[in-house]
Amino acid sequence: MLKAAYRIAWKDMVGDLRRRSSLSSMLFFSIAVLVVFQAAFEPDRQAAVKLLPGLVWATMLFTSLMGLGRVFQAEEENGAFEGLLLASVPRGIIFLGKWMGNLLLTLLVQAMILPLTMILFNVDAWHVIHHIFGVLVLGILGLTGLGVLLAAMTQAARSRETLLALLLLPLVAPLLIAGVQATAGVMEVDGQPWPWIKLLLIFDTVYLALAPWGFSWLVEE
Amino acid sequence: MNLLARIQRPLGFMTLLWLGVGLWMVFQAPLDFQQGNSVRILYAHVTSAKMSLFCYILLTITSITYLIKKSETADIISEATVPVGAAFTAVTLASGSIWGKPMWGTWWAWDARLTSMLVLLIIYMGLMALRSSLDEPLKAARATAILAIIGAVDLPIIHYSVVWWRTLHQPASFGGSSGNPSIGGDLLPPLLVMAIAFIFLGAYLVVVKAQEIAALRKLEALDIERMEQDD
Repeated sequence: MLKAAYRIAWKDMVGDLRRRSSLSSMLFFSIAVLVVFQAAFEPDRQAAVKLLPGLVWATMLFTSLMGLGRVFQAEEENGAFEGLLLASVPRGIIFLGKWMGNLLLTLLVQAMILPLTMILFNVDAWHVIHHIFGVLVLGILGLTGLGVLLAAMTQAARSRETLLALLLLPLVAPLLIAGVQATAGVMEVDGQPWPWIKLLLIFDTVYLALAPWGFSWLVEE
Repeated sequence: MNLLARIQRPLGFMTLLWLGVGLWMVFQAPLDFQQGNSVRILYAHVTSAKMSLFCYILLTITSITYLIKKSETADIISEATVPVGAAFTAVTLASGSIWGKPMWGTWWAWDARLTSMLVLLIIYMGLMALRSSLDEPLKAARATAILAIIGAVDLPIIHYSVVWWRTLHQPASFGGSSGNPSIGGDLLPPLLVMAIAFIFLGAYLVVVKAQEIAALRKLEALDIERMEQDD
């Protein structure tokens, strides 16, 4: 069963790496966002430290919107979505595969962007970078879970990328709040990230439980 | 649908009656000694805030009903409830701002309740945008129903995360707005009457809108039928 999910995720990843479509556009988009933030706020070293959690999360959110907009693009263009649905596995497994593909892609981009953000903004937090990334991973789990479901919902819609952003951004407000606070918490010496990490975990659990179910309702004949 | 047509007029009369009595009571009620006349805004503000949540509860129920029973009536009521809920949310935010400017000295504060209300408004807008941008009616109905349920799960999380954020991060901006201010005895009866009036108003608006949507769908079905006959 899970094998089918891995296959779908693998197909998406390999397809994307070969065409370098989502990966490179997400990377360069992230860098563009960072340049915009630098130009807009011009933080000095101390301000950059305070700004970093919000910066990392805002960049991650905008970039992942870009990847999510393309989750079902290949299927949509070639009319292959019906074919995928014909596969003799539960719909939840198909969702799981699409989700894992997008999750891997987003994690890969973030793993490259996070150090770059710290270099570009001169933030010396290298000793906690694994903690920052860990918190980011917790956020990405729930974000991509909800995001892939909303991408499936909007794939047939007109102006779907705008619609996806309109639907996703308010719903992930708790994730953003908790993520930024938790990141700030792990960066400070006596910070308290735990309540926020718990909130992230609650969000992840709720959406990863809800999304496969929602997907199978959505694509039902 | 027949039922809706039958209750529309009585509902309208009840709305007028209760609103009339309610407004009269509101202007008879004593002034707050600190807030003066602006306290009267709260009779519309509190009631529409309750209605905006009430509409979302109704929307959740009809969405679940639609997904399980596939009844078109449930979908029509869902579609009708969204703009009504959005209107009540917008009224809540606007009246709150108008009250807040003289009382708090600011139009807006990122307080827990205000933030959740704003997010609720965006979710209502998203539901309308999703339905209008999907061409296939069946897909649109299913997608909006699922989104409404996701929103219902998300709203408490949003609310509590904002409350935590505002209390852990910095003390609540305005003491009275986050606690439950007690209401003086003289102010309570008009508030209750206004609440009943707003429930009738909400029900009336949903009924009117639902009939409009039902009529539009019938028209569209007739259109398709005619085109098929022409071919």
